[in-house]
Amino acid sequence: MTSHPPHDDDSLDPRDPTDPLAARLRAALTSEADMVNPSDDGLQKVRSGVDSTRRPWWQHPGALAVAAAAVLGLLVGGGFSLLGGDDDGNVVAGQPSPSASESSDPPSNSATPSESPSPVPIEGDVYVYYVMDDSDSGPRLYREKRPNIGMDPVQAALAVMFNEPAVDPDYSSPWNGTRLLTYSVSGDTATVDLAAPAGLASEVTRLGVQQIVYTVTANDTSVQRVRLLIDGDPRGGDPLERAPMVDVQGQIWLLGPTQDVTVPSPVEITGVGTAFEGTISWEVRREGSDTVVAEGFTQGGANGEFGEFSDTVELEPGTYEIRAFESSAEDGRPLHVDTKTFTVE
Amino acid sequence: MSGTLPPVSPVASGLSAGSWGADEAVTNLYAAHYRSLVRLAALLLRDTGAAEEVVQDSFVAMHGAWRRLSDPDRALAYLRQSVVNRSRSALRHRTVVARHPPTPAPDAASAEQGAMVALEHAAVLAALRLLPLRQREVLVLRYYADLSEADIADTVGISRGAVKSHASRGMAALRTTLESTP
Repeated sequence: MTSHPPHDDDSLDPRDPTDPLAARLRAALTSEADMVNPSDDGLQKVRSGVDSTRRPWWQHPGALAVAAAAVLGLLVGGGFSLLGGDDDGNVVAGQPSPSASESSDPPSNSATPSESPSPVPIEGDVYVYYVMDDSDSGPRLYREKRPNIGMDPVQAALAVMFNEPAVDPDYSSPWNGTRLLTYSVSGDTATVDLAAPAGLASEVTRLGVQQIVYTVTANDTSVQRVRLLIDGDPRGGDPLERAPMVDVQGQIWLLGPTQDVTVPSPVEITGVGTAFEGTISWEVRREGSDTVVAEGFTQGGANGEFGEFSDTVELEPGTYEIRAFESSAEDGRPLHVDTKTFTVE
Repeated sequence: MSGTLPPVSPVASGLSAGSWGADEAVTNLYAAHYRSLVRLAALLLRDTGAAEEVVQDSFVAMHGAWRRLSDPDRALAYLRQSVVNRSRSALRHRTVVARHPPTPAPDAASAEQGAMVALEHAAVLAALRLLPLRQREVLVLRYYADLSEADIADTVGISRGAVKSHASRGMAALRTTLESTP
């Protein structure tokens, strides 16, 4: 990674010291940075953060009872409170302390090399599910395709889910900071054994559990059921199948263009969705502007059946936001909106 | 230059880095990089307190990951990735949940700076803030942290091609903004 000698591979811009704008930017950033002076207690805070991770989260006072109750409630007795207030992905997203993400020394920590910055070959893609509240139907699952980091696809996908934010800033994951202890498959049942950061277990909802079920089954289609363990303890009851898509999946997924991508024009618009009479609408705006510069509609799945949709749009170079949605049959307002920001070269 | 993240000296502590334990790694890398990483995060976040938290959390995570990193260069790359990711999350949390404008970092010029220079810097930084987040990240890593294209790609988690296009787009937009304001 950093084994690249500093600038031998420089094709970014001619690192021309005479480029006045580069020099101005450098000077401004350096001057701004020089005004930032960290306080002296940083190392102490890091050390106390490290100390707090030495103790497994479930040994923190009170954590066990809360976590057990939460897990049992969610996995066994939770019923179908999918749209309940607790399912708020936004609330959960801010909760897990990243500082707990690498906790005390498990003997079998081989399962999560995801953040290792060592250069590993990219082997295809994996599917990672995240949560977004579309503000019409509550939190739902949304999927991103992420590069595999060169390992078993299920474990790679879980590692991304646990360690990396979604590329789309509207998506989040309640599992941020979780560590995968072991992953195994027996027949059509996968077992996922997790160590979650303090406080997380009490926040995770049925949708959060389905986030893992969907991610595992998407990356290994031979898996039908997922047994979820917390620190090896099978408190979760029977292995779970995927809940029906219509109950948990975001109604409209905008899959292309992907977030932050740079693409040529004409731009291909793709996705998966379900809408009244199958009509999926889309609008494109210049980033930061309210003016729609292009719009259209296309055919997806209808009325609970999910179907792929696609369209194309010609755009001038620039950065845009595209949104795909269902137009309300009542008043035409956009429902189930998914957005992406992208650049046309 | 003061803005540069210095290369890691493998013998910074007089020990071979290969023999560092996780605690030693934290101590040594903290000494070498804490300040510049906080400054990096502060340029992204415009909030020194939040920047410190982000960097501290990154060090804690690095401690946990040290066994598989076990190398100061890889650990620094890990720290940078973590700082950029966590800064992005913090910004997102701030805009999505709080919807409060961030506490601005002090833009005021320090006393020894000439007023013209201060104005010039403020104009450049204001223009930078108008850019989309990725472009801003790429330019800060480029022109403050002085990273190569490949290291920026690794740090931000995008392809080298994307680094290049974000950088050139960002610079073009800066140029346009700065030329249109006197």
